[in-house]
Amino acid sequence: MVYVNYFFSALEAAEMYGDDYVGPSVRAQERQQGDIAALQGPLLALENVTLSFGGVTALAAVDLTIAPGEIHAVIGPNGAGKSSLINVISGLYRPSSGRVWVDGVSYAGVPAHRAARLGLSRTFQTPALFKGLSVADNIVTGLAYRNRSNFLSQALGLPLSRREQAGVRQRAEEVMALLRLERYANHLTGALPYGLQKRTELARALAPNPKVLLLDEPMAGMTATEKLEMADYVRAARTRYGTTIVLVEHDVGLVMDMSDRIAVLDYGRKIADGTPDEVRNNQAVIDAYLGVPHDNEQGAGI
Amino acid sequence: MADFDYLFFLEVLTGGLLSGVMYSLVAIGFVLIYKTSGVLNFAQGSILLFAALTFVSLTEKGVPFALALAVTFAAMVAIGIAVERVVLRPLVNKPPITLFMATLGLSYVIEGAAQLLWGTQVHGLDLGIEDIPFEFHGILISTFDLFASGVAAVMVVGLLLFFRYTRVGLSFRAVADDQFAALAVGLRLPRIWATVWAASGLVALVAGLLWGARSGVQFSLSLVVLKALPVLVLGGFDSIAGAIVGGLIVGASEKLAEVYLGAFIGGGIEGWFAYVLALAFLLVRPSGLFGQNRVERV
Amino acid sequence: MTTNALRPKTLPSWLLLVLILALAYAVIPLFGTGYLIEAIMLPFLALSLAGVGLNLLTGYAGQVSLGSAAFMAVGAFAAFNFNLRVDGLPLLVSLVAAGLTAAAVGIVFGLPSLRLRGFYLAVSTLAAQFFVQWALTKFSWFSNNNPSGVIDAPTIRLAGIDMTSSLGRYYFALIVVSLLTLFAWRVATSQTGRNFIAVRDNETAANFIGVPVLKTKLLAFGLSSFIIGIAGALWAFAYLRTVEPAGFNLDRSFQILFIVIIGGLATIRGAFLGAALIVVFPVVLSRVGSLVFGSMFDSGTLDMTQRIVLGALIIAFLILEPDGLAALSHRLRLWRQAPAPAS
Repeated sequence: MVYVNYFFSALEAAEMYGDDYVGPSVRAQERQQGDIAALQGPLLALENVTLSFGGVTALAAVDLTIAPGEIHAVIGPNGAGKSSLINVISGLYRPSSGRVWVDGVSYAGVPAHRAARLGLSRTFQTPALFKGLSVADNIVTGLAYRNRSNFLSQALGLPLSRREQAGVRQRAEEVMALLRLERYANHLTGALPYGLQKRTELARALAPNPKVLLLDEPMAGMTATEKLEMADYVRAARTRYGTTIVLVEHDVGLVMDMSDRIAVLDYGRKIADGTPDEVRNNQAVIDAYLGVPHDNEQGAGI
Repeated sequence: MADFDYLFFLEVLTGGLLSGVMYSLVAIGFVLIYKTSGVLNFAQGSILLFAALTFVSLTEKGVPFALALAVTFAAMVAIGIAVERVVLRPLVNKPPITLFMATLGLSYVIEGAAQLLWGTQVHGLDLGIEDIPFEFHGILISTFDLFASGVAAVMVVGLLLFFRYTRVGLSFRAVADDQFAALAVGLRLPRIWATVWAASGLVALVAGLLWGARSGVQFSLSLVVLKALPVLVLGGFDSIAGAIVGGLIVGASEKLAEVYLGAFIGGGIEGWFAYVLALAFLLVRPSGLFGQNRVERV
Repeated sequence: MTTNALRPKTLPSWLLLVLILALAYAVIPLFGTGYLIEAIMLPFLALSLAGVGLNLLTGYAGQVSLGSAAFMAVGAFAAFNFNLRVDGLPLLVSLVAAGLTAAAVGIVFGLPSLRLRGFYLAVSTLAAQFFVQWALTKFSWFSNNNPSGVIDAPTIRLAGIDMTSSLGRYYFALIVVSLLTLFAWRVATSQTGRNFIAVRDNETAANFIGVPVLKTKLLAFGLSSFIIGIAGALWAFAYLRTVEPAGFNLDRSFQILFIVIIGGLATIRGAFLGAALIVVFPVVLSRVGSLVFGSMFDSGTLDMTQRIVLGALIIAFLILEPDGLAALSHRLRLWRQAPAPAS
C-alpha cells in the first residue's frame, strides 16, 4: 500500500509543484499583464445584490465591480452594510437576490467552504485566529485546503506528507518575513497582543496567495502607528503578489491614502464609487458621512 | 389492525403522559437556571436526591411533615447560595461547556455529601396518597400519577404567574433576556441568581418528593436528571412551555415504545429511546421544538 | 503538545521521555510488587489510553463526548468476538479489528456533530452510551450466549509467547499503549491535529479557509473511538480478565472525561497525569481515611468521600487551572529554570 501511495504521490507532486508554488513576483506580473483577459466574467463583482434579514435590509440593490490588482475600499457610517458586503462576497451570507461574480463565475450564493479554492481569502472584524495554535501553525493551516495527504500518511511521515509540509512551511516563512512576524512564529496566538493578532490573521489570509483578499476593518482597534504599519503591509501584499484587495475601514484618512477606488455605502445603498478625489468631493457622500470639511476642524463645540 | 386494543393503547398513553408530567417537573428546574444564567445544571438530579433524602431522613426521625419540608427548603436555599458563590461566580466568563462540566463535578459533590450525611440505604417515602388504580371509561389510571400531575400542574401555573406578574419574576426574565441590560437598570445579578437557584431547588424538592414516593428514595434518583435531558432537547433549554410539551412527548413515546417496539426487540428500550428520539429530532431541528435559533454574528 | 514554544532549558523533553520509558519498561517490572502491577499499573494504562483517545476528540477537536465508555465496551466485546470466532487470528489483529469496529460505531454516533454543537452534541453522545450498553446486554450473541452475560477474557498470546501472567499482561498493555500514544502524538502534531484545533477554536473561519470541517469532525470521532475501543479491550483483557457491559457505564464515561479535564485538555501527557491521579487517589484516600478515622471509614464512606473530593477537584481545576495538570507541570518546570528571554 505504501508503494501505491508513492506512485500517486509522485503524480500529485508534479501537479502540485507545477501550479501553486510558482514564485510570487512572477504571479504578480502574470496578473497585471493580461492573464485576466482569459476570464469570462469579472474577477469580483456584485450584481444587483440585496440582502435582508427579518425586517432589516442590509444591502439594497448594490452593484460593485472590483478591477484586478486594485485596492478598493468600502466606507460608510455604522450599519451601512459594509461587513454584510464582505460576508456576502465570502459566502457567509446568501443574498436575497442578485448575483456574486467570483473569478469569472456568477453565484447566487458563494460556497464558503470552497472559497479558498476559488481564490478568496479574508480577515474578520474580530481576529478569527485559532487560539490554540501558534502563529506559524495558523498560517500553515491557511494552506491546509491544498493537502492531498490523509491522516495516516501524515502520522506515518510518508513522502507526500513530508513534501507537503516542507512546501507549506516554506511558504509560511515567506509570508511571516513579509509581515515581520518571524520572531513570534512559535507563540500561541491566543497570548499575542491585539495588533499582532490582526497581523497574523492577515498573514494567514495571504498564505494561499489569493486572487482576492477581503479585509474587514483590518485596522480597527489599533494605535495610529500600528495603523500605518498595517497599511504598509497591505500595500506590500498588493505590490509583491498582485493581490486584488477589498477593504472595509472606518479611518477615512487612511483609506483616502491607500485606495485606488472607494465605494461609499449608506443604509445599504451604494451612494458613490470612484477615486478618492471624486469621493472626497461628492456632495452625497459629504452629506451622509464625511461632513463639511471646514467647520469644526478644531473640534469646537464637541 | 382489526383487533388493535384501543383501550390498552389509551392506558399506556395516559400512563406515559402522566409520567411525562413528572419529567417536565424535573426539566423545569433546569429551565429556570438555564434561562437566567445560561448554565445547564447537571447537578439538578443530585439536588433532587439531596432534597428527597433530607426530607425522608427528617420525617423518619420523627420530625413533623411541615417542619421537615421547611427545613429541607431552607437547605435548598443554602445550597443555591453556596453554589452561586463558590462555583458560578469564579467561572462567570467561561464558555457554557466549562460551566456544564463544573456542574458535573458539582453533582458528584452533592451526591456524595447527601449520602455521606444521610446514608446509602433505600428509603420509602409515604406522602399519604394511596396508589389505588381507578378506572376511567375502561382504562386504568394510577391515582398517584394523577396526584403528581396535579401537583406539577399547580406548580407550573404558579411559576408562570410568578414570572408574568411579580417583580422578582420580571427581573428573572430581564436577566434571561440580556444580562448587561439588566445590570444597567440596576438589577443585582448575584442576588437574582441565588434566588433562581433557590426557586429551582424548590422545584427539585417537589419533584424529589414525588419521584421518591413513586420509586423509593435512593441513589438512582439522581439519574432522573438523565431523563430530563432529552426533554430539554425537544422542548428547548430555555422554555417552560417547551419543557412541558417535551416531557409529555418523552413520557408518552417512551412508554409506547417500550410496550409496542419492545415486543419486537426485547425490553429495556426505555433506557435509551428518549435519547434516540431527541437525537433524531435534533437532526431535523438543531435547536429543538421551542428553542431559540441563535444567529451567529461574524 | 500544540506548540513547541518555550523549550525548557534544563531537562530536555526527550530525556524526560527516556526516563519515563525506562521506568515503565525496566524499573517497575523489576521492583514492582504484584499489587502495584495488577491494581495500579494495569488500570492506569487502560484508562490513560482511553484518555488519550478522548482527548483527541474533546480536547483537540472540541467535540464533547459523554459516551466514551460505550466505545470502550464496543472495543472489548469486538475484540472478544473476533478472537473467539475467527480461528487463528493473532490477538493483536483482533485488537486492531476491535479498534476499527469501535471507530465505525464512533463515526455513526459522531454524525450528529455535523449539525449539533455543545450541549446538544453532549446529549447525543449520551444516546450512544445508553444504546450501546443496552444492545450489548440484550443480544446475547455478543457474550457468546453465556447465561450470566459475563465472559472471561482469553489467554493472551503474543508471537507464540503466553503473556497471561501478571507481568506478561503488563508488558502487553504497555506495548499497545506506547504504540498508540505515539500514533496519537503523531496525529496531534500533524496537519490533521491542527485541523482539529482549527475546527475547535473557530469553525466558521476554518470552514472558510478550506479546512474540511465535516471530514475533520468524523475523523476525530473515528480516530478517538479507535483508540478508546482498544483501551476498552485492554481494560477487559489485561486488567479485569472479564468482559461485561456493567463496567462500561455512565460513571466510567464521566471518569474518562474527568481524567482528561484534570490532566489537561489538548495535551497527550494530560491523559497519563489525569489517569494517575484517578487511579492512585482512591488508594491514598482509603489509607489516609482508615489512618485518621479508623474503622468508621468503611467502603461506603470511602466511595462517598471519593465522589465529593473528585467533584471538588473538577470544579477546582476548572476554576484555577483549566489547562489541567499538564499546564501545572509545565509551569513547575519553567519556574525552576532561569527566566526565559522576553517574548
